[in-house]
Amino acid sequence: MTATRSWLRERSELGICALLVVLGVLVLTDALRIPTDFAQRGPVGPKAVPILVGSLLLVVAVLLARDVLRGGRGEAEGGEDVDLSEPADWRTVLLLCGAFLANAALIGVVGFPISGAILFWGAAYALGSRAFVRDPLIAAGLSILTFVVFNNLLGVPLPGGPLMEVF
Amino acid sequence: MEQLLDGFATALTPTHLLFAAIGVLLGTAIGVLPGIGPAMAVALLLPVTYGMEPTGAFIMFAGIYYGGMFGGSTTSILLNTPGESAAVVTAFEGNPMARKGRGAQALAAAAIGHFTGGIIGTILIVLLAPFVAKHAVDIGAPDLFAIMVLAFIAVTSVLGSSRIRGVASLLIGLTLGLVGLDEMTGQQRLTFGSLHLADGIDVVVVAVALFAVGEALWVAAHLRRKPFDPIPVGRPWLSGADLKRTWKPWLRGPVIGFPFGAIPAGGAEIPTFLSYVTEKRLSKHKDEFGKGAIEGVAGPESTASASAAGTLVTMLTLGLPTTATAAVMLAAFQTYGIQPGPLLFQREAGLVWALIASLFIGLTLLLVLNLPLAPLWAKLLRIPRPYLYAGILFFASVGAYAVNADIFDLLLMFVIGLLGFGMRRYGLPVLPAIIGVILGPAAEQQMRRSLQLSDGSLVGLVNSPMAVIVYVVVLLIVFFPLIRKFLPKPAPPTTPAPEREKVDA
Amino acid sequence: MSVKVWVAVATAVLAVLLVPPLLTPGADSGETSQVRTLRVLVPNQPGGGYDITARTAAKAMEDADLLRNAEVFNLPGAGGTVGLGRTVGERGNGKLIMSMGLGVVGAVYTNKSPNSLLDTTPIARLIEEPDIVVVSKDSPYTSLQQLVDAWKANPGTVTVGGGSAPGGPDHMAPMLMAKAVGLQPKNVNYIQYDGGGELLASVLGGKVAFGVSGVGEYRDQIKAGTLRVLAVTSGKRVEGIDAPTLKESGVDVEFANWRGIVAPPGITQTDRDKLVDLLERMHKTPQWAEALQRNGWTDAFAPGDQFKTFLENENKRVATVLKDLGLA
Repeated sequence: MTATRSWLRERSELGICALLVVLGVLVLTDALRIPTDFAQRGPVGPKAVPILVGSLLLVVAVLLARDVLRGGRGEAEGGEDVDLSEPADWRTVLLLCGAFLANAALIGVVGFPISGAILFWGAAYALGSRAFVRDPLIAAGLSILTFVVFNNLLGVPLPGGPLMEVF
Repeated sequence: MEQLLDGFATALTPTHLLFAAIGVLLGTAIGVLPGIGPAMAVALLLPVTYGMEPTGAFIMFAGIYYGGMFGGSTTSILLNTPGESAAVVTAFEGNPMARKGRGAQALAAAAIGHFTGGIIGTILIVLLAPFVAKHAVDIGAPDLFAIMVLAFIAVTSVLGSSRIRGVASLLIGLTLGLVGLDEMTGQQRLTFGSLHLADGIDVVVVAVALFAVGEALWVAAHLRRKPFDPIPVGRPWLSGADLKRTWKPWLRGPVIGFPFGAIPAGGAEIPTFLSYVTEKRLSKHKDEFGKGAIEGVAGPESTASASAAGTLVTMLTLGLPTTATAAVMLAAFQTYGIQPGPLLFQREAGLVWALIASLFIGLTLLLVLNLPLAPLWAKLLRIPRPYLYAGILFFASVGAYAVNADIFDLLLMFVIGLLGFGMRRYGLPVLPAIIGVILGPAAEQQMRRSLQLSDGSLVGLVNSPMAVIVYVVVLLIVFFPLIRKFLPKPAPPTTPAPEREKVDA
Repeated sequence: MSVKVWVAVATAVLAVLLVPPLLTPGADSGETSQVRTLRVLVPNQPGGGYDITARTAAKAMEDADLLRNAEVFNLPGAGGTVGLGRTVGERGNGKLIMSMGLGVVGAVYTNKSPNSLLDTTPIARLIEEPDIVVVSKDSPYTSLQQLVDAWKANPGTVTVGGGSAPGGPDHMAPMLMAKAVGLQPKNVNYIQYDGGGELLASVLGGKVAFGVSGVGEYRDQIKAGTLRVLAVTSGKRVEGIDAPTLKESGVDVEFANWRGIVAPPGITQTDRDKLVDLLERMHKTPQWAEALQRNGWTDAFAPGDQFKTFLENENKRVATVLKDLGLA
């Protein structure tokens, strides 16, 4: 059991192959679903390119799988702020995703100034900022400034929040 | 020439200079804002000019236009979030440069590239306007498709160290490009019945999601826990070595950018990419590409700016907008009761030449105002890392949401961001995916349009001289390694030069 | 947690709650006959047809003091059906209108939109823009009759270019013409370009045999003699363009692109009357008259119920053509 597990862990890149297969199948089924009873001029219709792309996705998935099984490994991307010697820190990633999605979920309900501040503060918190006095103030300031520039100065409407109609 | 001097006389009055300066500043400021490209910037600022006399208004527009384009590159370099499609390629090298503490140099290379490209482009407007007007319309779907094929060949040089992973990435991009209503027949593809996907996925959204959101998540997973060194700001100016590496890309930019801007459906995405590939091939520092090579900023920026100038030629002489921004400008002309077109130069000569003169002035002001600002902008990166990445996510979200006021766009950005995270984890390069999104739909459209024009005959793909020339170049590039084997002496390694010249012909 | 932290969090919360509403001008209140604020939804990009119409109308209303503040905003997507979805979703909102036109009617079908224009409350049709049948000056066709003969003989190689997606005005016009001359719409080789500008290039370059488009961007080229207009699609001849109507040339089609204003469904009768009245008054302003002239639009004002009947008929006409093509 553990052997299988570590074998898979070693070859987790097969997940990318699986993703490519799923994409390929998706593209192909979607292409084949396109009806043919509409007017079409020219030999190449709306199906041709998706079928080509879908098939190539499958082919590349197989080739990539072969590469992985033969010991090929994609090189994780390095960078100035990235420390690859440490294992992945999923807690930070999930917190960050949470902050991003919270903004998406809340923007329509409580308005942009609040949800934007939550996004900024949440993301900063996730990434290790613990200045509990400074962070919320910066988040609020940035959010309000953005709102005013877009909504009031440029006329690009953003939802203002529950108190918009009160004053 | 005399008319141009008259134009300068008009444009150089203090009031008009002031308008140009205000335009440049406003354009840059708004171009920096997320989600607002130059088209939107011009549309939003249109009301500011109501009540101004036409000459003043257009001088201001010229400033806004170039300023907006430049503002897009600033965020591309500093935050890895391109403000508009012409600035996507700039992020490839510009952002790594900024991370290495060479942000000021990247911005300066971009600013000077913008200036050079714009000035040469504008000179070409003056010299070539009638010629371009006559020949731009000869470029048709088969020619454009041939260029796309060439661009696809060029993709091979950005696939990265593992070919198969590069191709996988390209295919992911092509898949994203398929989403939307099929242009020619109105059939839905990969939209899953959602109206939000009917127009396809914008390349800027894909680029911001893959670059910025994907990167923020990836950094979060492997955050360096040691105390951060602030990103060094380094020397503020371009060094002699930098200049030596950038002057040629600056000058090559317009050769690629101007013709693309002038032809219908040319745009700026494909020429900036071609410029990037060309610079990579010609550079003596190939190993630096992907890690912050200054040529990769200088060339594409100059190209983008020159393509903007090319756009103006077709718009002024034919009344034909080749980009969204030009379409907005055209609308602006019409609100003043001026119809750009073949008669414009006769009817409104004073205005046109003042506009052209103000392009020169606007570009100069842009350089003068932005060059000193470059080191200041670059200091922005010294803020603590949590704020930097939180700010990037904030910025990307505002951009995605502001355009359509739709939560769907935020979710779409998140999903593509996760994809970008996975690609970073498994060493799939992000670049080919972006190129796939740009090239895929354009190539398919031009190919099918060519075949429709010839009523289904395959001859329709090669029945123009220019298409044939481009295909010959493609064949030469593909088979050159083979041919070289049979040559008695190995050819000197200056091979890509003819390729570039012919493409622009 | 220290007091400081609480103070900071409380300040932040209060600021995000209070500052934005305080900085934004107060909302509509009071029951005057003058409409004070109105939001105008534009379902395509800035610079597009609906956008120019909406912004021009809004400006005319403000200049004539019919309205204090009109906020025009763009919600582009899927040929206007994303904006339509939003309008239909704002049931009962009497302070929102959407600018739209013939293109949206077709887009509802091609995008398989769940919302129909028939769900909305039609307020008024504003303008009309006839299409023109146009060839380059080097084209072999000098009259519509010649073109139609060639077209009937060989619909595959006599290609038609248009600036709109299937279901849009430039697509509808040649399809209706085809039906009138006895060609199957399915056999028409229609090539879509991204708007009138890109089409113009390929007409000038002789890439397509003929183009069908709005007059707008083409006037100058026509005057300069680089384009030849074979016919206009409207019932009457168009001022400044030396070309017969389709009917005069023996093709029994009368067609024009039009634009108008609709409001969300389920608004009160009072709200509807107010809006119709507002547009009727705008229609009479000199500012609007001047705008029509400047943009080369034909006045085609039709208020409330008249517009409703018209919309229903257009919907039927579009649906028939698209059904023939297998698109609806």
